[in-house]
Amino acid sequence: MFWKVSFKQDFGTAIRNIGSFIVFGSFAVGAFYFSNFVTAYLLENVKIGLFLFHRFIGMLLFVFFITINLGNMVVSFSTLYRSPEMSFLLSSPVSFLNIFIIKFLDNFFYSSGTLFMVGFSVLLGYGSYFDLPWHFYLVMMFGVLVPFMFLAACVAVIVLLVLMKLAAKINFRLLAAGIVLVYISQIYFYFKVSSPVHLVQEVMKYYPNVDLYFGMLDPLAIKLLPNFWVSEIMYFYVTNNFLSVVQYTSLLILSTAGLFVVALAVANGVFYSTWITSLSIKSLTVRSLELKNTFFSFGKRSWFSPQTEVLLKKELWQFLREPSQWIHFSVMMALLIVFLMSVSSLSIKLESPELKAVVYLVVFVFNIFLINSIALRFGFPMVSLEGNAYWSIRSAPISASTMYWIKFSSVMIFLVVLSIVIAWLSNIPYLYAQKVINQFPLPSSFVEPHPSIKILAYYSIIVTPIITATLVSINVGLGSVYSNFIEKNPIRIASSQGATMTFLLSVVYLVIILGVYYLPTTMMFVSASKNSVVNWSILSIVFLIITVPSFFIIGISHLLGIRSLRRDY
Amino acid sequence: MIELKILTKKFGSFVAVDDVSLSIPSGEFFGFLGPNGAGKTTTIKMMTGLFKPTSGQITINGFDVVKQPLEAKSTFGYIPDHPYLYDKLTGREFIYYMGGLYKMEKNDLKENVERVIDLLELASWVDKKTEDYSQGMRQRVTFAAAFVHKPKTVIIDEPMVGLDPRSARIVKDSLKQQAKDGASIFMSTHILEMAEELCDRIGIINKSKIIFLDTRENLHLHKIKYDGNLESVFLELTKEDKEL
Repeated sequence: MFWKVSFKQDFGTAIRNIGSFIVFGSFAVGAFYFSNFVTAYLLENVKIGLFLFHRFIGMLLFVFFITINLGNMVVSFSTLYRSPEMSFLLSSPVSFLNIFIIKFLDNFFYSSGTLFMVGFSVLLGYGSYFDLPWHFYLVMMFGVLVPFMFLAACVAVIVLLVLMKLAAKINFRLLAAGIVLVYISQIYFYFKVSSPVHLVQEVMKYYPNVDLYFGMLDPLAIKLLPNFWVSEIMYFYVTNNFLSVVQYTSLLILSTAGLFVVALAVANGVFYSTWITSLSIKSLTVRSLELKNTFFSFGKRSWFSPQTEVLLKKELWQFLREPSQWIHFSVMMALLIVFLMSVSSLSIKLESPELKAVVYLVVFVFNIFLINSIALRFGFPMVSLEGNAYWSIRSAPISASTMYWIKFSSVMIFLVVLSIVIAWLSNIPYLYAQKVINQFPLPSSFVEPHPSIKILAYYSIIVTPIITATLVSINVGLGSVYSNFIEKNPIRIASSQGATMTFLLSVVYLVIILGVYYLPTTMMFVSASKNSVVNWSILSIVFLIITVPSFFIIGISHLLGIRSLRRDY
Repeated sequence: MIELKILTKKFGSFVAVDDVSLSIPSGEFFGFLGPNGAGKTTTIKMMTGLFKPTSGQITINGFDVVKQPLEAKSTFGYIPDHPYLYDKLTGREFIYYMGGLYKMEKNDLKENVERVIDLLELASWVDKKTEDYSQGMRQRVTFAAAFVHKPKTVIIDEPMVGLDPRSARIVKDSLKQQAKDGASIFMSTHILEMAEELCDRIGIINKSKIIFLDTRENLHLHKIKYDGNLESVFLELTKEDKEL
């Protein structure tokens, strides 16, 4: 009864569906080739070996797990506690537990649909490289990927229920801050314990026998995590150790089932009471930040034009007074800080310039990916968040484009500044002298990065804001094209079909950028390694290849976005 | 001054408004009546720029709504049938927000915000967030926001939805005050008594076309034909099998 089904049989919808199919299909094919290429590249060119390759997969899966976990927690908070629909459902003759189950499953499948598709395409690319049998895909999809993601969602909802239970006694803002700290600590300790740099150095001692299993190097705490089990399943599948595959798959499925039961038991006990609690913390806004009689209050004069001023202030207050916005934003910023702290002090002793280039590119792409996630989460829903009150703008003497530019600028300025900070921090190891600890009795010394590497770092700091502006344009522009004024939940807007399409298009853009950026990155590391001359024309051509299409995409996105705002409302 | 010239709106093959022509002079209180789905809201949405007309022309206070939308919009205030507001703003903030959209200068705005808060009697709850408002409270804030920039024309779609008797009285009085101050008012309503009480002229739309257009005085002559009741006139004119 809760499933929403709509059949619109008009030409526009058909075209849009065909468009979606083409984009989704192209993305799936792209993800397949990309994972196939990366697998081949790391194993054949960089020669990191099967063990390290799967340990890296495990680390990526940890980040993936935390992302799904946090995403589900915020979505569940919005749909279980903040949605107006919940008041209606709880007044209906349906048990609280059933309502919880349906909303929980709805959240999970709603926010995970694209991830399943991407996951499966990546698995296909990986599997085809190793020429794995058909049952690999079946087991990995239904026995591993789905339980793994469901496990993350179960953990999320259990944490949320406990948090809401505690909210009856402890200030919710304190709890939210506490949970952010816990997650930051988790990530910090995970990478501290798993110590990827140490692992690489240890495994490389056995070169060229790096395909062997070095399980003795894995710390015990890491072996208890589901992302480790998944990477083990993949490693043992490739090495034909099916007994271990069955053991780890069973462990994953049983753990997921167990945690689902725990989630249901906790929900059965506390869901309704926590929902009641959530009503009393409805005023969960930054009341202490009301900023009355300051520049930010509506009654105060500012140097902006009246229209710009009220639109900016409205955006600000809507953001600060909506918990699902500022909590999610705080979590993302906290994770970003952890990531930046890690990469700004990154020091990997690698000999191969190709491997150094790969590490550099991974960090570069991760930076951009973070920016894109923030742009999707906060930029895409900007127009939709006008909601049913959009009449107030449409009937007022303000052009649609003015409103659009104000919305776009508010996200763009923030993200471009952020992107420059990120690019600079992540390039610190490539810009400034790094401390090298020498063998006793020699004192530690400082080594300046090679000039080519410094040039690359500055180059990235210049290119990153251009890419950021493009990504923000895609997200705000297509957010306007796919605007949904009915949905009030920004998280659901940011995970709608339109948002998924936008995300896929952004990823396609990122993959192209990555492909283009590979050239100067490798060239500069090789130049640093061999002390060869830098080919400036390559740098200039790559710059043009990145900027010209980017400006074209920016233009198209805004054109579509503004045009959409002029539709009948 | 409002002028609609052979205005038409089609959604695919469905004609929602069909060749509607109206002229409402400055200072007139015009009542726009019609059964559900007759085309009232569509007409209003075209007048306020929310819908683009398929054909025809709309002029408000001398400005073409399609060709000079910003100039036209700056002269009117609009109150929609559903008073949706930004949940996270307070009523006062919303009124300030609307004033800002109409480019009001700060001092003038502050003075007028207080004026409309008094006019609509909002003071006791206007600083609460609108997510906590009842339908009637939202409706009154919408009125206040529409009046804040002292519009020459007020366009209202179903003003009485969800209002308690006290709120209804406040709204009626505020509308009378606007009319007294010289604003022309275009009001669609289902409440026939209200149209009869407030309006100088009444138009009835049915099945996308204007089927009645006359002054309140002449309406009385029509009423005599029936049982002296406006409702009977309305029901007769909008009968399902009525030949247009």
